Amino acid sequence: MAAKSNQDTAQERRALEDLMRQAQAGDARAYQLLLSEVAIRVRRLVSRRAPWLSPADREDVVQDILLSVHQARATWDPARPFLPWMVAIARARLADNARRYARRATIDLALSDLAETFCDLPTNYNSESVVNLLTVRKAMKGLTPAEQQAVNLLRLREMSLAEASAASGSSVAALKVAIHRAMRKMKVTIWKD
Amino acid sequence: MTHGTNKIDETDALIARLAQETRPLRPLANPVRRGFVWGVFALFFGALMVWAIGPRPDLPERLTDARFLLEQGAALATGLAAAVAALALTVPGAPPLLRVLPIAPGAVWIGTLSLGCLRDWWQFGAQGLRITPDPACFVYIALIGSLPALVLFGMVRRGAPLSPRWTLLLGALAAAGFGNFALRFFHMQDAALMVLVWQVGSVALLACVAGLCGRRLFAWPVRTA
Repeated sequence: MAAKSNQDTAQERRALEDLMRQAQAGDARAYQLLLSEVAIRVRRLVSRRAPWLSPADREDVVQDILLSVHQARATWDPARPFLPWMVAIARARLADNARRYARRATIDLALSDLAETFCDLPTNYNSESVVNLLTVRKAMKGLTPAEQQAVNLLRLREMSLAEASAASGSSVAALKVAIHRAMRKMKVTIWKD
Repeated sequence: MTHGTNKIDETDALIARLAQETRPLRPLANPVRRGFVWGVFALFFGALMVWAIGPRPDLPERLTDARFLLEQGAALATGLAAAVAALALTVPGAPPLLRVLPIAPGAVWIGTLSLGCLRDWWQFGAQGLRITPDPACFVYIALIGSLPALVLFGMVRRGAPLSPRWTLLLGALAAAGFGNFALRFFHMQDAALMVLVWQVGSVALLACVAGLCGRRLFAWPVRTA
């Protein structure tokens, strides 16, 4: 039974390598089949390696890996096995995403205090929230008007980029830049205090 | 659930788009072969620069000096090994041995120069370990390494940015190593400590700066859909 399973796996590997060879030769249909197979395997790998991600975030990582496979397809040597090549790309992208996830979590953690202070102001009449409020005000003073608006809409009022863009009249790209700069500046000010 | 299904549909659309974009392509050659091709180009460019600037007058004498030959051989081997390692780092699943290739020649290079420092100190005392400013080394190494560095960067970018910082650090080490190799054919500076500080120091500095820029210069594509 185990021998049969190994044989199947070997056949699967050979099939993937054949598809990749045809894809490198420019066969779009073979390439589509190959990427679909890669997506199934990568989805499994991402679920196992990053179980804390939401299904949508997991699928984002799968798409990143597919794009990376596409970009790196010339680096596959037909004389070498396909699966280790694919897994090396998937691991690199997972590591990138883990770094990005950790960075985002740090920023969210630094900002969670700010959001709570603003949203629950009536119930937080104690010395700690006054100190938090002062820190937030001080941190926001260093921002440009566009950055203040981005923090207000995206973080404090928790709008999506599209909603914030409609509300402010700024483009999504401009809002992304503004929020990124604002977060960086506020983090520095808050942690300095 | 609907959100997850939409995302999977998005992935299927992405696969269809990528399949439509595919064109026939030639797989990249082995990193060792590509590294040697680049090495030949870098040597040619270095020789051209030596010819343009003019070789040092004592070159025939230097070419019979075992210490000079050993140091030059180690610098050249380090540069070549670093180029192969940089290219291997962009190939997913490449043999890990290729990535650590520059360690041995690099150790020989630093080792021979360190031994040279000891010998200079033994022969000339404190005078043998005098450091005087020689910023021209940095300028020449950067100049001779510039075009090979650009060519190697182009070659590296055809691969995958698996470890962009290490890739660019090793790429710059390769180019600057070749630059230093060529420099010693026209620049009359053979005191081991001076070579170690100004020449190897310049190579290390250029490599570190390139490494720090790695993630900015060599990144994966961004999802736009």
